[in-house]
Amino acid sequence: MDGVPIAAERPLSRWRLMPERGTLSLFELLLALLCVVLAVLGLSQNVQDVLIQTFLWAGLALAWNVAGGYAGLISFGHASFFGVGAYTSTILLVNYGLTPWIGLWLGGLLAAVVAGALTLICARLRGPFFILSTLAVAEVFRIAALNWASLTGGAEGFAILPTPSVFRMVFVSKTTYATLFLGYLVTVYCITKVLEGSRYGLQLFAVRDDEDAASAAGVNPLLARTGAMCLSAFLTAIGGSLFAQYFLFLDPTHVFSPELSFQFALLPALGGLATAIGPVLGAFVITPLSEMLRSYFGGGAAGLHLAIYGTVLVVVMLYFPGGIAAALAQLAGGHVKGAS
Amino acid sequence: MTFLLEIRDLTHSFGALQALAGVSFSVREGELLGVIGPNGAGKSTLYNLIAGALAPTSGEIRFKGTSVAGWKPYHAARAGVARTFQIPKPYRHLSVIENVALSALQHDRTVKAARASAQAVLAEVGLAAYAEAPVSILTAGLLKRLEVARALALRPSLVLFDEIVAGLTPSEVKGMTALVAGLSARGITVIWVEHVLYAIMTTAPRIMVLHRGDVIADGAPEKLAKDSAVIKAYLGEEMSLA
Amino acid sequence: MTTVGQLIFSGLLIGSIYALMSMGLTLIFGVLRIVNFAHGEFLMIAMYGAWAMTRYLGLNPYIAVAAVVPAMFLFGGVIYRLIISPGLDKPHLVVVFATMGLAILMQNIALMLFSADLFDVAPLLGGRSFIIGPFYAKAELLIGFAVAVACTIALRFMLQATFLGKAIRATVQDGEAAMLMGIPVPRIFLITFAGGSALVGLAACVMMPLFSVFPTVGLNFVLIAFVIVVLGGMGSVEGALIGGICIGVVQSISSYYVAAAYGQMFFFILFLLVMIFRPAGLLGRRGEATIGIND
Repeated sequence: MDGVPIAAERPLSRWRLMPERGTLSLFELLLALLCVVLAVLGLSQNVQDVLIQTFLWAGLALAWNVAGGYAGLISFGHASFFGVGAYTSTILLVNYGLTPWIGLWLGGLLAAVVAGALTLICARLRGPFFILSTLAVAEVFRIAALNWASLTGGAEGFAILPTPSVFRMVFVSKTTYATLFLGYLVTVYCITKVLEGSRYGLQLFAVRDDEDAASAAGVNPLLARTGAMCLSAFLTAIGGSLFAQYFLFLDPTHVFSPELSFQFALLPALGGLATAIGPVLGAFVITPLSEMLRSYFGGGAAGLHLAIYGTVLVVVMLYFPGGIAAALAQLAGGHVKGAS
Repeated sequence: MTFLLEIRDLTHSFGALQALAGVSFSVREGELLGVIGPNGAGKSTLYNLIAGALAPTSGEIRFKGTSVAGWKPYHAARAGVARTFQIPKPYRHLSVIENVALSALQHDRTVKAARASAQAVLAEVGLAAYAEAPVSILTAGLLKRLEVARALALRPSLVLFDEIVAGLTPSEVKGMTALVAGLSARGITVIWVEHVLYAIMTTAPRIMVLHRGDVIADGAPEKLAKDSAVIKAYLGEEMSLA
Repeated sequence: MTTVGQLIFSGLLIGSIYALMSMGLTLIFGVLRIVNFAHGEFLMIAMYGAWAMTRYLGLNPYIAVAAVVPAMFLFGGVIYRLIISPGLDKPHLVVVFATMGLAILMQNIALMLFSADLFDVAPLLGGRSFIIGPFYAKAELLIGFAVAVACTIALRFMLQATFLGKAIRATVQDGEAAMLMGIPVPRIFLITFAGGSALVGLAACVMMPLFSVFPTVGLNFVLIAFVIVVLGGMGSVEGALIGGICIGVVQSISSYYVAAAYGQMFFFILFLLVMIFRPAGLLGRRGEATIGIND
């Protein structure tokens, strides 16, 4: 043909060992299996609690990554969507008796609308300006939620009565919650995988990498980005609703906080932006680690675990920009398609 | 004879700087039009206006009879106008074939089909061996070929080539000019801006010369080479007689 | 009517201090085209520095300037070398996340060293207010205002008349061209970043008598600083002053007539409105925010 092939030949077997865009790998299947086993095993309360949070954070990190890693829309304001989801389903449940199984969809839709508006208005802003806009929006929500006590309960917070029932999405057993949250994670993961192998996904990557070239190739960058942000917000909001259903208490200072927003971004950044497995790895490593550090050090060295994150984040971003996912793939001898 | 592209009194200014001063010309379907001119003549601006990256200060652009001035680049692409970028703009985190498949998505519904189309286009430009490689390994010359491939994958009726042979080896130049001539033979309309004069003068049957935002000559290459205005415009200008 | 006047006057004074805090950020933004998400934490450690010198050495924050400002200059230089410089030729998200990581690190080191308690320094002249025309003002506010204005004038002079200043302005306008003209752009970056940090140190000393310091104090102020920088225009020192004063006045008036918390919300909304309608800010160059920074 045209001479010696430069690129690696695709192996004949359909199965890949390490995660790759567009196909399912053994690694992912094994990890999924492990999660299922851990979820149903019914381990100690503490372990299950960590598991639940890990699954939740993995899902939220994946959701953020649709906008941040795939579309290149880095946001430090995703707490807006998280909070909107959490409060919408909770208010509908507590005040109107609507089951969260429906409420969470409404929360998601509302968040998507907010995201759509935000992106349509602000997407032409580049880099830091867009990031700051997302921050500002989240702050507006936080202050509004804090002060609009009649709607959100204000600073005192909003509680869900812990009466268990399937209708109210409140359960006694943590195992049930673990399964629910794992379901959320798996769903978001599947959506992400399908997205990255799809036509729209490819267009999104192109817009991220070079908007002008993508536009000249027939893609409307604004619509592409808006779609990604809406999807990201939708998924984040559902995570928020689930959060509310587990912790049974919403405090606007926490739910709309910048710290939470940073966490949504931090996990994919550490795990590997623009890959599906990256945010999951980020969450799977950081969440249990932070719980362990927090319980080990307790109040004594409060902030030590965060100080460690900060340092790790700096080091990773400067020297290992592909994150954990890239490091893992390199170990397995492959090359990584992703943010590096 | 219908004109595929009609430009009438096209003017564009960047603040106080006038890049195009009332340019008018028309291109027939299937024609191969070469555009040359010293730096600063307004060639990039012309392309940006036709391809929708800029909206003109004034003037008319008609594509297939419809007025399109001020349209967006993706409108142009969907209507069948493809362009290359003078400085290649590849999608850095995608592979070579994905870069091309993105353009093919305008006609192919699935990624799989788009990849197949892309594979064919890559073969056409001689990049088939690099299909799965990341674009970061491509040299400047190969990146230019990638630009061409991305444009062709749109299955355009009008292609705007922007200095696609600058920086290529003589044999590559030969291959590229053969490609361009082949497109014209297939009925695809081509406008080709170029600095490498020997390539374009020997391939394009019609050449337009731009200078300081004006068309100073428009006709067969042999006639142009003797045109005093053209020679004057190029005097003092460093020409690439590669 | 005098209430409104007093509010505006107080807003003007506090706004100028906010502006002082933002001047470093706007210069860094303008020259390096990066956002330092740890800017608030720089302010925080400088405030702790001023507090510590006051508490343990018996100085007052204004004298502490002599130590805090050079220390912050050095600190800025170190951070630039370690974190900013390696990230400059990478995609902009690297610097964004790296400075975010730095912010988290700094916040939590402060938390571990100083605990979450609020620290204050005693007001300078016993908390007395001065009467300026029909208005009252605390001594600290007036001093802060004077420092802010003096700083703006000094910076404008430096930018206009000195070679360094011209080099900085050239780099703001076009970094590549500046480099081609022989300007040592990397050194300009270093000096600007370190200088911006020093300015933050100055602001911290002036702010210490007015605000408490605690590990996450940076977050409140950095958002204000961003709003001011955006409002005033990236890279514009005068813009920062005007933007700061606008913010101060808006906050002052809205806190009085609406609940104080909502007051904060107003300038975020102001920020978003500016982003929508004039992203280059009042004194910035049109198109800056949309054409691309670090793209």
